[in-house]
Formats: sequence, structure tokens, C-alpha cells
Amino acid sequence: MSPRLVTTILKKDFSLGPRSAVFLWALVLPLAITLILQVAFGSLFQPKPRLGVVDEGGSQVARDVRAMEGIRVREYEDAEALRAAVEANDVDAGIVLPRGFDEAVKAGERPELTFWISGESYASNRIVLAVTTIDLLRALEGKEPPVEVRVQSIGEAGLPISVRLVPVIVFYALVMAGLFVPGSSLVEEKEQGTLKALLVTPARTADVLLAKWLLGIVLASVMSVVTLVLNSALGSNWPEVLVVVFVAAMLSSALGVVIGAFAPDSQTMFGIVKGSGILLFAPVAFYVFPDWPQWIAKLFPLYWIIEPIWRVAVLGGHLSEVLTELAVALGITAALGVLAWSLGKRMQVQVAAR
Amino acid sequence: MSEAHEPAIAVKDLRFSYGEIEAVKGISFEVMPGEILGFLGPNGAGKSTTIKMLIGLLPPQGGTATVLGTDVALDDPGLQARIGVCFEEKNLYLNMTARENLEFFAALYGVKDADVEGALRRVGLADRANDRVKTFSKGMRQRMMIARAFINRPDVLFLDEPTDGLDPVTAAAIRATIKEEAERGAAVLLTTHDMFEADELSDRVAFMNEGRIVALDTPENLKLKHGTRAVRVRLRDKEGVREEVLPLGDGEATARLAELAASPDLLTIHTEEATLEQIFIALTGRGLAG
Repeated sequence: MSPRLVTTILKKDFSLGPRSAVFLWALVLPLAITLILQVAFGSLFQPKPRLGVVDEGGSQVARDVRAMEGIRVREYEDAEALRAAVEANDVDAGIVLPRGFDEAVKAGERPELTFWISGESYASNRIVLAVTTIDLLRALEGKEPPVEVRVQSIGEAGLPISVRLVPVIVFYALVMAGLFVPGSSLVEEKEQGTLKALLVTPARTADVLLAKWLLGIVLASVMSVVTLVLNSALGSNWPEVLVVVFVAAMLSSALGVVIGAFAPDSQTMFGIVKGSGILLFAPVAFYVFPDWPQWIAKLFPLYWIIEPIWRVAVLGGHLSEVLTELAVALGITAALGVLAWSLGKRMQVQVAAR
Repeated sequence: MSEAHEPAIAVKDLRFSYGEIEAVKGISFEVMPGEILGFLGPNGAGKSTTIKMLIGLLPPQGGTATVLGTDVALDDPGLQARIGVCFEEKNLYLNMTARENLEFFAALYGVKDADVEGALRRVGLADRANDRVKTFSKGMRQRMMIARAFINRPDVLFLDEPTDGLDPVTAAAIRATIKEEAERGAAVLLTTHDMFEADELSDRVAFMNEGRIVALDTPENLKLKHGTRAVRVRLRDKEGVREEVLPLGDGEATARLAELAASPDLLTIHTEEATLEQIFIALTGRGLAG
């Protein structure tokens, strides 16, 4: 096996990628599904409320609002600039916190606070910003609210459907980029006879298979991360997310190479994927329907790559919590590697016989 | 390159079977550097299987075969870097341009600063360098196949029907290129159905039938050995045109030939030399096209 030859074949595959329908489809489909689900279940086109702030004296209110994840804060130099921004609907609302504001509130002097609202802003955003500001002022004043608020959750408990669908979308990204692209690329080489041309150069079957595997890993990793980012699921522990995504990409791409090495033509390959679709896609259904017995999901090989993504990327867990799943995934990948090696030998005989 | 006195290809008692079917039944031959060996035979004769073993696609099941001194059974990538192959099927990357195809294969062969422009110019495709191969005609694709086979300046060339589908002018140009490669010192194993091409290009020809080499010699020797030593003379007479066949080496016939040669009625004289196809039929009882 030669790194130079593997790199040469990989570079060729990447340069040919944008000219291949399957390659482009693999890139577009997860993004399209994300957009459709975001539109259907909200979040993509519901931007965070935007609050403009002029903080002249280093107010505690400004510091607290900046720390809130649900509100996007923009700072302005002076009241005039803030007012212009509110008028232009660059922010939904704006407040000017003058020098000595905090001290005045704490002293019970009831200082005046101007709260500008953009006429074009969403009512929901106005309410969020107004209530939040009042809450922060009460906290600054050190007084309890005048009423006891009892919060009651109504409706089904658990994560919203938009969150539970994240594994489905990531799975699509993994399968399309990690499985279909290397698999179909390998099958296309067989159908066009170019594999035979490759194998009479210094390149060997192992070089070709390794290049296809790396192609799938790179694409599946990139597409999974992009999908997670679009679904706001990358989180702050992104290095750990990248590890689970990489392991998932390794397994899905190995599966793609095995299918590609086995299938003599595109028709057979798509037949295999269709036929085994239920086995491939079954694990993700358990995230959409959490009432189902979860142990069943473990029977499916791809559960072992989706579960770490779910727990680390979506639920914000740590690698230490999914070490068993990652070990099983790596074990399955190694087994697929051995299978691909054996199928590669058979493939060379098939190619020679054509 | 191997030394001129050592064969570039040496095959001894080579065998291969597809299950129960014996495709190659113990053949032996050699090709010297700078020599063109025409490999002739009908479909299923075992030519392709032999070539697949020599280029490393199939492992020999019996006998030995060395190319440039390396046993092909060793599956040495260094050997593949020194050979060029032109398949009968046009297995090019259709979505890549002509230039990209050649640059890619040059990179696989480890050729630095490959003369891609020169290779394309040689096969008359320089002006289409940046066009995708899928826009090429059958003949242009065939020319690309030739350019690809030559891109690493190989010491041994395996050419399977190299002029298939080409117009006569382009085919003649490709034949000239093959001759140039042989003159450079490359050993060429040429498979073709075209007897005229084999006759024109080959230093020697091997007739293959049912997995065996049934004859291996220069075209001239084969013709001498298997043809008729005679001349056919066409003459004008009162009734139109008549022909006479005169065996060579016969005293009476030689005198008659001299007489006819001096006659004002002489139209043409042709040798009765056998064609390669006729020799093949005589040897095997079957045609080359079958």
C-alpha cells in the first residue's frame, strides 16, 4: 500500500466529486432535510430576540443580559446610535443604562429607563425582552416579585421533536456521504472499466479501497458537522463531538466500501441499500419515538454510531459516557475492514474477468 | 530497460483455467526489447487471458512469466510503473478532461513533469486537451487510450486492438507511433484481428488457438512455409484477359515467365503468397474472426 497512490486517487475522487450526481446529492440532501424540518418545527426562521444596549457605567443589568444564551445583545456607543438601530429594526429593542444607574436603583431612587421598541419587531420578541429586562431590574433592586409564580408544564414531557429529529438528519448525512459516495464511486469505477485501468498501474486494490474509505470519512465528517451546526447541536464541547462524528464516519464509510466492493454494478448496489434499508435506518426511529423499548435499537449496527452522537452532540454529554459504544463501533469498523479486504481480492478477479 | 540481449517478456509453459475451462494451456514465447510481437487468434483463443497474466490482473496458475526480468507472480508495483497497457474497452474517466486523465495516470505511474501536451499532440488531440472525454468520439477515445498507454514511456507495451474504430488516416498515424515506440526500444505485444495491421507492424506473429500457440515466426517465414511459391500472370488475348499460374523453381515455368514478361500482352504479375489469415485457417481449420 502506498500513501502517494492513495493520495493521488483521493485527489482525483475529490476533483471528480462536483461532477457526480451522487456526490452532489450527498451534500444537498442533509441540508435540504434540515431546512425542511427547521421550517416545519421551527427555530431556523425564528431568530433570537435582539437587544441593543448602551452601557455607560458598567451596569450589572448589561452583564447579566450578555450572559443569556437566548438573547442576542448588541452594544452601541450612545443613545443616538441605539435609537437609529431600533428605528431601522437592526435590533428588536434597546435600553440606555446611564452611569450610576445600578447605584440609583439599589438606593431606591427609581431612575428613569428608556426602553425603545422597534415597530417592526415580533410581538413575541418584545415580550421576551421586556420581561427579561424587568426581571433583571428586580434582581438588581434585590426584591422578590410581588406574586408567587407557579410554573406548570403542559403537554408531553421530554425533548421537542425538532431535537429528537437531529439524529435522523445526522444519520442521513452519514449514510449519504459516508456510505453512498464511496460505494457508488467504487461501483462506477467497475462499470466504466477504470478500475481495471487503475489496477495495471502501480496502484493495488488496497490503495483504491483505502482512498474510497478516506473519501467517505472526510465527506461524512464534514457533512455531519455542518448538519449539527445547522441544528445548533455542536455545542461547547465540540472537540468531543468531532471525535464521535469521526468514529461514525469511519464506520459508515467502511460499510460503503464493503457494499461497493461486493456489488458488481449500480443496480445491485442500490438494491442492497434498499433491501437493507430497514436494518440501516431502524436505530434512528428510536430517537423519534422514545417510548419504544430502547434496547431493541442496540441490535442494529448503526446504533453504535448514532448513540454517541446523540449523547455527546445533542444532549451535551462527554466521551467518557460513550466509551463502550465507541469501542463497539470501532470493532465493527475493523470487522468491515477485514471483509472489505477479502471482497477486494474477489473484486480484482471479477474485474480481470470482464 | 532490460539489456537488449535479454527478453523483455519471457513466458514458459504458462497456464490458466477458469474453473474447469482451460484458457491457456502451457504456452511459451519471448519478446525482445524493440520487437513487436503480433498476437493473433479468434475470440476465446486465450490471448486476453495471457495478457491479463502478464500485466498483473490474473495470477498465473502454472508455468512462469517474467516481464523486464520480474516474475509477474510477485505482483511487484515497480513492474507496473514500467509497462503501458491499451485495453480494447475505452476505460477512461469520462467526466475528466483529456489533460486530467493523462495527468492522473502520470501521477499514478510516478512520472514527474509528464509531457501531457506532447502526448496529446502525438495522437492529434492537443486542441481538445481541456474537453471532457465524454464529449469525444469513439476514435478520439481510442487515441486517448494510446496516449495514456504511452504516458510513462514504458519499456513494454501491451496493445489490444489499438486501431479499432479508427479511420484509415488516424490508424496509419497510430501504427507509426507504435513503430516509433518499438524503435525507442519498447517491446510491444500487439493483439489484433486486423491481419494487414499485424503484417505491417509485427516483427513476429504468434497464432493462438484454443489456449495454445500453433505457430510463431516472422510473417515472411510463415508465408514461405505455408504459402504457395508461384506467380499469377494476367495477359490480354483475343477473348479478353486470361491468367496463368507458374510455380517458382520449376525450369519450364521460369522460361515461360521470362517469355511472358517480354510479351506486349502482359498486364500484371502477382506472387501467390498466402495471407496470414489463410495460414491461420490452414493451421487451425478455423478463421480468425470466429
